[in-house]
Amino acid sequence: MSEDTSPETTGAYHWIGKNVTKPDALEKALGATEYVGDMVVPGMLHAKILWAGAPHGVIRNIDTKDAARVPGVAAVLTASDVPGTNRYGLAVPDQRALADDKVRSAGDALALVAAEDEEAAEEAVAKIKVDLEPLRPILTYEDALDPMAPAIHEGGNVFQHTTVRKGDLEKGIEESDVIVENAYHTHRMDHVPMEPEAGLAYVDPSGVLNILVGTQYPYRDRRQIAPALDLAMNKVRVIQAPIGGGFGRKDDITAEIHVGLLALKTRRPVRLVYTREESLIANTKRHPMAMNFRTGARKDGLLTFLDGDIYGDTGAGVSLGAYVIKKAGIHATGPYDVPNIRVDTYTLYTNNLVSGAMRGFGVMQAAVAHESQMDQLAHRLGMSPLEFRIKNCLKPGLASSTGQLMNEGCGIEATLQRIKDYMSAHDLRFNRPHA
Amino acid sequence: MRQRYALRVNGETRETEAEPHESLLDVLRENLRLTGSKKGCNEAECGSCTVLLNGRPVVSCLVLVPDAVGRDIVTIEALAGDGTPHPVQRQMVEQGGVQCGYCTPGMIMSAYALLQENPHPTDEEIRFAISGNICRCTGYGKIVKAVRAAAEEVGRAAS
Repeated sequence: MSEDTSPETTGAYHWIGKNVTKPDALEKALGATEYVGDMVVPGMLHAKILWAGAPHGVIRNIDTKDAARVPGVAAVLTASDVPGTNRYGLAVPDQRALADDKVRSAGDALALVAAEDEEAAEEAVAKIKVDLEPLRPILTYEDALDPMAPAIHEGGNVFQHTTVRKGDLEKGIEESDVIVENAYHTHRMDHVPMEPEAGLAYVDPSGVLNILVGTQYPYRDRRQIAPALDLAMNKVRVIQAPIGGGFGRKDDITAEIHVGLLALKTRRPVRLVYTREESLIANTKRHPMAMNFRTGARKDGLLTFLDGDIYGDTGAGVSLGAYVIKKAGIHATGPYDVPNIRVDTYTLYTNNLVSGAMRGFGVMQAAVAHESQMDQLAHRLGMSPLEFRIKNCLKPGLASSTGQLMNEGCGIEATLQRIKDYMSAHDLRFNRPHA
Repeated sequence: MRQRYALRVNGETRETEAEPHESLLDVLRENLRLTGSKKGCNEAECGSCTVLLNGRPVVSCLVLVPDAVGRDIVTIEALAGDGTPHPVQRQMVEQGGVQCGYCTPGMIMSAYALLQENPHPTDEEIRFAISGNICRCTGYGKIVKAVRAAAEEVGRAAS
């Protein structure tokens, strides 16, 4: 008989079922953990950003002369001071470290100041004069789809179109006894990590640009920082500082390129700490989506089809939007077996704030639509919304919208059954009567 | 105009210079380098800057320095001043009430103030006491559990 090497026997499951304390929890509870905003190094300058504050316009001129004369100011920088490509972005480099030709969202950075203290930096920012020629702002899905609207980037405002196709939609419609059709809108949402964005950069004696930042992804940061600042990859070191909450927000570049550029130009350490207001107007948000769903079912309670369109507003930069919105389409049927599917998604550029990764990554927006559809179908069929879900949920042997075969790891039916047992044991009912 | 202030912080008198319109939070963090009190919003919404002023929890971002003169200021740094974490601090660790940690010092100060005044709080009283402290990670359940466990621990030690 061969030796038993199952995880249960070898102790690989040693930690399961036990409370394990986080290694860094005690220093956090003592208040001893230093986040970037708590760090001070000798000779450090303080940075501030001039934000665009307007959604769309051609930059005619940025006058920094008065700002540079404020006592204590060490540098005032605009796009022409950026040595590299000035571009970054997780999927495509469509975001500017500092806006150059155009302003594409109110959260675009126009200029940077480094000064001996924050007050001097703020005073200098207030003295920068911007001459902006306004362009028609693209703020709604309709604006973005309008062929007459100005293109925010080269290549137009529809960045990506994806499709999900399964079965025979017409057959599904014919077989339906009940069809519900609705439009759903979800809103833009900020992650609001308790720690606003912050970064601290310095050039060390060997010429390496060091950047301390509460980031989710130091190496991907480095791949974006180096070309933007025209540095070799091995001349940039991103150091993961304690991160006061991210939730997807700190997947993208936040303070990295700005503090890095200021440290390169001043040859002094530079710290940038966002205010909460800045954190709300800049960097990525959760994608707002508009979803038009038509869903059918038979009298016996089986789902027949989903016919849907999803429009996602990724703002002035794609970030991870193309993946988030595509994912909303893939998950448009939720954890349910739908034999006939047509879903199209559109990733749209607008002059709104950039949207990117946030917990759920597009699946939550889709859930607003598919779960609402499920409730309405159950109501129309006179079925319990729970029984209706148990009947239609994915089970081992069934396939998802994109053909992924469910195996024993598919736990939705057991989960729903537990809810049913709990409700029955506690004599709980649904608020809205059915049947 | 910058002025001199003598602040009684964690049992010691600390001399510092500041503008009269500066907040207690900024002076604690920048002048006295007590960075355990965090700046999450700087407008009294999040509670991460909570300190005790004469025993009562306040958001230090809305206290002007002159108003703190002559009062006892207690910050997170004092709670384990003798090298032993306070039961609230230890239970926050053991019950999983700490995740990113940014709200943690303010949360602990609110809970500590509650236990000073009410050593046997109900869950509702705990929830009320920390209602001014926003946490985005935990969902609060484990924090309430930690404060409850700390109260039991303090109660056992006292009896």
